[in-house]
Amino acid sequence: MTAESAPSTPIETRLRDLRPTSSPVEFVARVVTCERRDVTRKSDGSRRPLLSGLLSDGTATVRFTWWDPPREGVERGVVLRAVGAEVREFRGRPEVTFSWKTRVGPASPAELPRVDADEVPFRTVEELRPAEEGFRIELRVVRISAKSVTVGTERRVVHEGLVADRTGAIALSAWSDFGLKAGEAVRVAGGYVRGFRGRPQLVLDERSIVVRVEGNDLPDPAQLLAAPPRSIAEVEDAGGGEAVAVEGVVVGLLPPSGLVFRCPTCQRSVRSGICRVHGQVDGQSDLRARIVLDDGTGALTVNANRADTEKLWGVTLEEAQARLRHQPDPSLLEEQLLEALLGRRLRVRGVGTNDEFGVTLAPESIERVDIDLDAAAEELSARIGDRR
Amino acid sequence: MSLREPAWRVTARELESSLEEEKGEGERPATYLLSPFAARMNRVLLAGSLSPAESIGRDEAQAFWRARLSDPTGAVAVTAGSFQPRAMAQLRSASAPRPAIVVGKLHLFRGRDGVGYVSVRAEAVRSVAEAEERAALADIVRQTLDRLDLLERVEKEPGLSEETLRAEGIPAAWLRAAKESRSRYPNVDRAAFRRELGNAVRRVAGESGPSRATLPTPPTVTVTRAPPPRPPSPAPSAAERAEESLFLDQLDEVADVSADGYADLKEVLSRVSAHGLVEEKAETILNRLEEDGVIEEPIVGKLRRA
Repeated sequence: MTAESAPSTPIETRLRDLRPTSSPVEFVARVVTCERRDVTRKSDGSRRPLLSGLLSDGTATVRFTWWDPPREGVERGVVLRAVGAEVREFRGRPEVTFSWKTRVGPASPAELPRVDADEVPFRTVEELRPAEEGFRIELRVVRISAKSVTVGTERRVVHEGLVADRTGAIALSAWSDFGLKAGEAVRVAGGYVRGFRGRPQLVLDERSIVVRVEGNDLPDPAQLLAAPPRSIAEVEDAGGGEAVAVEGVVVGLLPPSGLVFRCPTCQRSVRSGICRVHGQVDGQSDLRARIVLDDGTGALTVNANRADTEKLWGVTLEEAQARLRHQPDPSLLEEQLLEALLGRRLRVRGVGTNDEFGVTLAPESIERVDIDLDAAAEELSARIGDRR
Repeated sequence: MSLREPAWRVTARELESSLEEEKGEGERPATYLLSPFAARMNRVLLAGSLSPAESIGRDEAQAFWRARLSDPTGAVAVTAGSFQPRAMAQLRSASAPRPAIVVGKLHLFRGRDGVGYVSVRAEAVRSVAEAEERAALADIVRQTLDRLDLLERVEKEPGLSEETLRAEGIPAAWLRAAKESRSRYPNVDRAAFRRELGNAVRRVAGESGPSRATLPTPPTVTVTRAPPPRPPSPAPSAAERAEESLFLDQLDEVADVSADGYADLKEVLSRVSAHGLVEEKAETILNRLEEDGVIEEPIVGKLRRA
């Protein structure tokens, strides 16, 4: 072995280039997620602490396992330099292990490898999967709005919206202000994809690079938002979607519907005066309808807010409260709401998320649909007649 | 993941023609009723004229009500019990037939003669304006025609793939139902059924179909489907009366010594045959006695005096 082919100190590796090898590697990466637990040794029953999670350096995300980690100082967002880490392969993907032989210390975000936007591969929305990063993508901004949120103890502004290409649409959450405007076409590098409520979401932060482009082959936002309704079976197959439009009939309501009470702090619904997070609270009254919409091919839940519920029901929150004073049984109100909705044909657009109970739609618009009976009769009679 | 079963849009006629059941998969399998017209249904949505309900519960604590929903193609029983309090309240609320929409789960009862009776256990019932009933009927006829068209396509191209159909917005469940319908009901006249939908379309167009005008409110829900109505049986002869009393005597004897108070059907049959009554004849007597309400069979194979 010559001195050139076996350097005494391993050179810094980008996570994208990790390969399972016998020689230890050195890299700089940010902790994306981490979880601490104890592993009980079989031989003597002693417990050994273990920290595991995901590391990312902007080129890729890998799983890590850290035996005997420091008691504190390692948390989400921290940048680490690891020297002498082992690389293994698990289910076809590389993983890193920090043992007593590995030196791990804090590093500055500036030491993270510089991601050159020109060398990462292009992706389409359809191809994006949670935990993906190190890609470029061209997108149309369909809509975007700023929102102030609390992260830990800190207030931050997040720019949330919807972006799309020809293959589909994906939710966007930008933690840095790129001055994005609806209708713009952009090329994005240095973003990553995470799963949020069962749907992938594209996340941009201060390391991401956004460039305006022509985007001639990107879809028109208006067209995207006005797409014709799809069958509910299709929406179920796709596990929801960012710009879903369906048309169906109300076949039921799920509890809690009607007059509900919400925690004044977190807006969660309050049961028996108790909020799941804030304990005993004075609930604020609200109207909602959890509508089961069915088009004969499938069914999904539409969570209608107060404004939509008032419009569909024709009863305002105040009127509902007045009714409650005359008939102090809230379930009667739910029944009257069902009475008003059952069998109604609705066209709903919104964001569909997926869980073990199926698809739930957070509606952006709910419209009543009336069938033109004469036209329907004519069409149907032609369909029956032409086969006689 | 157990997704909610969709409500298949069907006419009463389609339910009347459905005789085949299938158990689903999973931990708590759903039961599906297979129709000859490419529906594999657990839940349905129907629209039509709903008759006033009658109570059929034996036990006051466990109320059970039944009404009849007629659409221009046929009629089907709609039931609701104390487990469907809202639907039950809706069924009970009317004193005259009214246009209504019913969403519910299907129930197939197979009588001893092997004939199936389909009823709908209502989950939600709502009286609607006539225009709404017609709109719902339009939806029902449209989807029924869609399924019939799919059946024809499957017949012509047996290799039709889920992907091809999915691209056209036709769910995989429909293709599965179509294939199942074809294999379970090979000899059904689907063209005739298609023509029968004409009545429903005329109703969509606003012509009041014959159903509402001529169908009187039945005092009780009668089963309107196969087997064909038997000719009224002639009054039993003296010999038949003797056979009946022989049957009842044997039944009482068996019941007296049984632990649960019921007479075992097989034992009664073997005893009467020992007295020279052939089994076929004994069955006839049993049916007549059951029909006359002299004896009942609350558990299959177990008889008692009513």
